[in-house]
Amino acid sequence: MIAVRTPAAVPAPRSDGADDGATPLVRVRGLQKRFGFHTVLDGIDLDVRRGEVTVLLGPSGSGKSTLLRCVNHLEKPDAGFVEVGGEIIGYRRDGRHLRELPDRDVTRQRARIGMVFQQFNLFPHKTALENILEGQLAAGVPRKEAAARGSELLDRVGLGGREASYPRQMSGGQQQRVAIARALAVRPDLMLFDEPTSALDPEMVGEVLGVMKDLAATGMTMIVVTHEIGFAREAADQVVFLDGGRIVESGTPADVLANPRHDRARAFLSAVL
Amino acid sequence: MTADVEPHPTSQPAGVVREGLAHRSGDDELLAARLVARRKPGQWISAVAVLVIVALVVRSLITNPRYQWDVVRHFFLRPSILEGLLLTLWLTAAVLVVSYVIGIVLAVMRLSSNPVLKTVSFVYVWLFRSVPPLVQLLFWFELASLYPKLSLGIPGVKTFATVDTAHLFTALLAAFVGLTFDMAAFSSEIVRGGLLSVEAGQTEAAKALGLGKGRIFRRIVLPQAMPAIIPASGNLLIGLLKATSIVSVIAVHDLLQSVKLIYSQNYLIIPLLLVATIWYIILTTILSIGQYFVERHYARGKGAASGRGFWQVARGNLPLFGRARQDLAGIA
Repeated sequence: MIAVRTPAAVPAPRSDGADDGATPLVRVRGLQKRFGFHTVLDGIDLDVRRGEVTVLLGPSGSGKSTLLRCVNHLEKPDAGFVEVGGEIIGYRRDGRHLRELPDRDVTRQRARIGMVFQQFNLFPHKTALENILEGQLAAGVPRKEAAARGSELLDRVGLGGREASYPRQMSGGQQQRVAIARALAVRPDLMLFDEPTSALDPEMVGEVLGVMKDLAATGMTMIVVTHEIGFAREAADQVVFLDGGRIVESGTPADVLANPRHDRARAFLSAVL
Repeated sequence: MTADVEPHPTSQPAGVVREGLAHRSGDDELLAARLVARRKPGQWISAVAVLVIVALVVRSLITNPRYQWDVVRHFFLRPSILEGLLLTLWLTAAVLVVSYVIGIVLAVMRLSSNPVLKTVSFVYVWLFRSVPPLVQLLFWFELASLYPKLSLGIPGVKTFATVDTAHLFTALLAAFVGLTFDMAAFSSEIVRGGLLSVEAGQTEAAKALGLGKGRIFRRIVLPQAMPAIIPASGNLLIGLLKATSIVSVIAVHDLLQSVKLIYSQNYLIIPLLLVATIWYIILTTILSIGQYFVERHYARGKGAASGRGFWQVARGNLPLFGRARQDLAGIA
């Protein structure tokens, strides 16, 4: 490798998405979002390091899901920015402006970020395998290769052999596991989970959380909105508590869950535990 | 229409009751009793009444000599009739294809966030749904008196070509344009309803997977909108097939016009109208059967609906002509 010296001796900040260990994979700064007169996000600052699991906790309406949806530009922020792998999501810097990117570029950015939804949102007219193929085909992966990876992923979430099943023929827990496999198929750098177990019957929560813990153990960077405190305690590296669109408390699970300092966090945790 | 029902098979033999529950005298007789369904005399009476009426109608169809079935048979496959039939068919097909292309565009315009496109789409649908197709047809036919000449070019800059409107707008083109503009308005409403029936979560999931806009529409939204679009479109298509008969007003040689030309000479009006009627019935039947198969194709992943075979559905709708399970009746 040839070292190239720039005239200025200071190393330029890396913006190619490569990891140098110190820069967090996800950087959220000053993020604001309003729906009409209602402020949902009121200045969020958050770092997520590569390979770590961040759990977002908070009462409903606190802005957890909106924050998550800003990370892959399903919602457009009103102020502030989200950076994933050194790239600003949905915008490009142009002097004093952040100009929204054309659809094609947003689509490319989203392909690097997997998302799992509360209601699974599997494509009902496609089989489990076809669901997993869709993102890969869009990314230009040849069908044969995509199908092989699809079967492998179904195996990994414990659904080997269910390639030809339609979502309607599967239980909620199975559907959510297919949804996780679908999101993983395009080899994302980051996985977002928006209350992945909230729509499930109680006896199916465990199988989905199990898949998520396995995934965390492989070193996947994850941001998880959930009410499963047990998952936060076991799998999270960082727990962030939101209330009224602000982060009121954050730290290791031991800190935040065991002795929350903020009143709202304390009240919430005593209610859900 | 059987009044009696076989006694229900029970999982435990009659007379054996789970231990520990109090036994009362008389229970044994109740357990051994045969269940008899309620009699339904009203069903029998109404069925007989309807059958009598049907028999009378059928008898008159056969015995009334003024139907002149031999004349019907004589003209049924005449080349001039078949030519008219062919024109009806391809006019229907052309109008369907073009109007659905326009309809999809109008629906997407209406659902877009662009206020100009939204408004234009709404006004188009409002206007063309309000004008009867026959009135529109006459309008297009008389376009020459409104705009004697039509030119292609850049307004105020350059003209590439000019034609006489009367030359361009033949009866056939007027018929095609009128029916297409009318159909486009209705089809766009059907398509819009179908697109709206697809949950927003589907689009979001597809976006999150990195699918582009066009891909999301073609592969995710439209296929899921189809089950809502097809039945209404089937109705619309059958309506269109029959509505093409209004073009005979401006002397386009369609099925009805070919029949009219013959009976205006030989005055065998009724039998020739029957020729047209039977052809329309045959075509509609074919379209209905086609609709069934298209619906089944788009029912993938929908469980029960995709499992029913064609003959099962046919028997379900025509229980007089074959045994069918009760729960299959009443499905299209």
